[in-house]
Amino acid sequence: MGATRDADGGENVNREGEAPTVVVGATTDEASVTEEGTELERSIGLVGGLAIGVGTMIGAGIFVFPGLAAGRAGPAAAGSFAIGAVIALLVALPTSELATAMPKSGGGYYFISRALGALPGAVVGISIWLGLVFATAFYLVGFGNYAAAVLAEAGVSVGGSVVVPLALVFGVLLTGLNLFGTENAAALQNYVVGLLLAILVLFLGYGGLDALGVFGRPSAPERFMPFGPLPMFTTAALVFTSYLGFAQVATVAGDIKRPGRNLPLAMVGSVLVVGALYVATIFVATSAFGSAALSSFGETAIVEVARAFAGRRGAVAILLAGLLATISSANASILSTSRAVFAVSKDALIPTAASRMNLRYGTPHVALAMGGGPTLALVALGEVEVLAEVASFLHLVMYGLICVALIAIRRDEPEWYDPDFRVPLYPLVAVPGALASFGLIAFMQPLSQLVGVAIMLATAGWYKYYANDVSLKGVL
Amino acid sequence: MDDLAIREPPRILVPIKVLEGQALPETLVEFLAPADVIVLGYHVLPEQTPTEQASMQFEDRARAAVDDIAHAFHEAGREVETRVVFTHDRDQTVERVAADVGATAVLLPNPVGDIEELLVAVRGAIDTDRLADLVATLVGADTQRVTVVGITTDPSEFDATVAVGDARETLLARGLAPERLATETATSERPVADIVDRSDEFDVIVMGQQEGTLWSALFGDETERVAEGAVAPVLIVRGQPTESTSG
Repeated sequence: MGATRDADGGENVNREGEAPTVVVGATTDEASVTEEGTELERSIGLVGGLAIGVGTMIGAGIFVFPGLAAGRAGPAAAGSFAIGAVIALLVALPTSELATAMPKSGGGYYFISRALGALPGAVVGISIWLGLVFATAFYLVGFGNYAAAVLAEAGVSVGGSVVVPLALVFGVLLTGLNLFGTENAAALQNYVVGLLLAILVLFLGYGGLDALGVFGRPSAPERFMPFGPLPMFTTAALVFTSYLGFAQVATVAGDIKRPGRNLPLAMVGSVLVVGALYVATIFVATSAFGSAALSSFGETAIVEVARAFAGRRGAVAILLAGLLATISSANASILSTSRAVFAVSKDALIPTAASRMNLRYGTPHVALAMGGGPTLALVALGEVEVLAEVASFLHLVMYGLICVALIAIRRDEPEWYDPDFRVPLYPLVAVPGALASFGLIAFMQPLSQLVGVAIMLATAGWYKYYANDVSLKGVL
Repeated sequence: MDDLAIREPPRILVPIKVLEGQALPETLVEFLAPADVIVLGYHVLPEQTPTEQASMQFEDRARAAVDDIAHAFHEAGREVETRVVFTHDRDQTVERVAADVGATAVLLPNPVGDIEELLVAVRGAIDTDRLADLVATLVGADTQRVTVVGITTDPSEFDATVAVGDARETLLARGLAPERLATETATSERPVADIVDRSDEFDVIVMGQQEGTLWSALFGDETERVAEGAVAPVLIVRGQPTESTSG
């Protein structure tokens, strides 16, 4: 690994004198090769990539939004989720192209810093770390809620007071698993996502047949757009949160086998899988109850739908699925946080000590602690819902900038730029992708927007203070 | 078949858990030195750790450890190729590198003292020429004794006597002295357990890769039990590389 240090050692270093580290020289389908000739095996296949994408995303669209969205848009909420999927694809395609051109760890941060420069890179890289911490805290509290609901359903009388302790205990468990578990963290993710998908497909299959009248009780058709077409679009902005996460696949790009094929398939595929499940969920839910009734159930709407189909067993099964969905999202986010910290630390935007790992467990303990520690503090303090929206804000900024990065790099292609996958008619994808990403920010609460902007300014300030001399544009 | 010369110089892949202080006994280095040797220093990471991150911190250490092993071979008169790999999946890495270098056999290192007795276990159809090239090259003009044991679970499916006879003829044709070669056959329900049980009588075990990938042969149920249970180093003879994997 060679540091890109100048002859006098005075340039391209941060305040501590640390320079960005360039590890990987060449990449092949099976391994990356460092400058000294050491091989880094690529070991995540297409299924593993899909599990990361689906596992990060799935959850909110099924377990939080159906009641809310149906109340706003009626059965057309299914259209809102479809619009969300289209926007996600507009970003997933440019991300895929950039990832196949730069199949290395770091994801969106890496593309933005290499295509647009160190300042936008630092803003995205450091704020995405915070954004992931917020998101993880949100998922953990969600887990606490579902776990409390399962206990209540099982007849154990507990108040709302157990939610935070449950979330904390589970957060410690997950962080510990990632710190000390030598082989189980990734396998856990695959099993959780698999089991979750199985429950959902069963539920939606049964519900779909029921809605079509197969079981002799055709549901009363409801007008598709009871409130007109506009709410379908504004609701799309609300539910887009449930698509955040497909770009997480790109953060493990350095470990994906045959990246030229598997990265685009995993990213686009996970958006399609999740989108189809969301649309089917809304269809089933609105067929079972009608949007007004659904809306009155609020965030637990889907549990009531399952109860209507299969009684208490159905409710418990769906609660269990919710539990699995929050586990998978929280675990995927903890892993992504650690990789986000590594990516900026490797480039000397934060002290390089953050990428230290211990040999005994072979895990990046500093980076995991920088994710798990603040997450647990936030869970204990509460207020995670505002922070979840801030996390969405920061993700959307990254998505928008990924699209901008594609446009910038395609307008003046550097010599090294040779992606295996090229977005067809890229301006027609990347320009609407950027506009939609930035546009969705406008629909957020003013408080979230304020906090998001403050975080971005703070990270820019950090860059100016700590790493102003670090330059990353085109440094591969 | 009746050629005295070694048809194809055997290439042996030697995977070493390089950061866990796994060492290669000196006697094993001397034993392997007549063959082409590729030392593969690998380090397995949990999935949550990027290989890139590990290489930043441990690459120099891993390379130094592999260079030490290469130096030991140099002392024994053999220049070896070295590879260093950080991976999440040991089996995938061993299989990929073995195909990449066209390895005849893969070594599972175990502690060993002086190497006097070889057990060649024949459990099914095996490329006798490759096996003979390997064994004949390694024992060469030394004094080691070779015992070929044919083990079958069902004599109507696999005739151990014919296979052992074939192996014996080929080894003799490669120049192994008859007094250094013994043969046995056995019928057993538990061939793997039998090999493990007898491993303390021998210093090195040579066995064929069974059906399936090198992965299942090396680390799948069967051979894993041999490797873990055996007290001797094990050489797994790979099947012939097919056209598609030889590149």
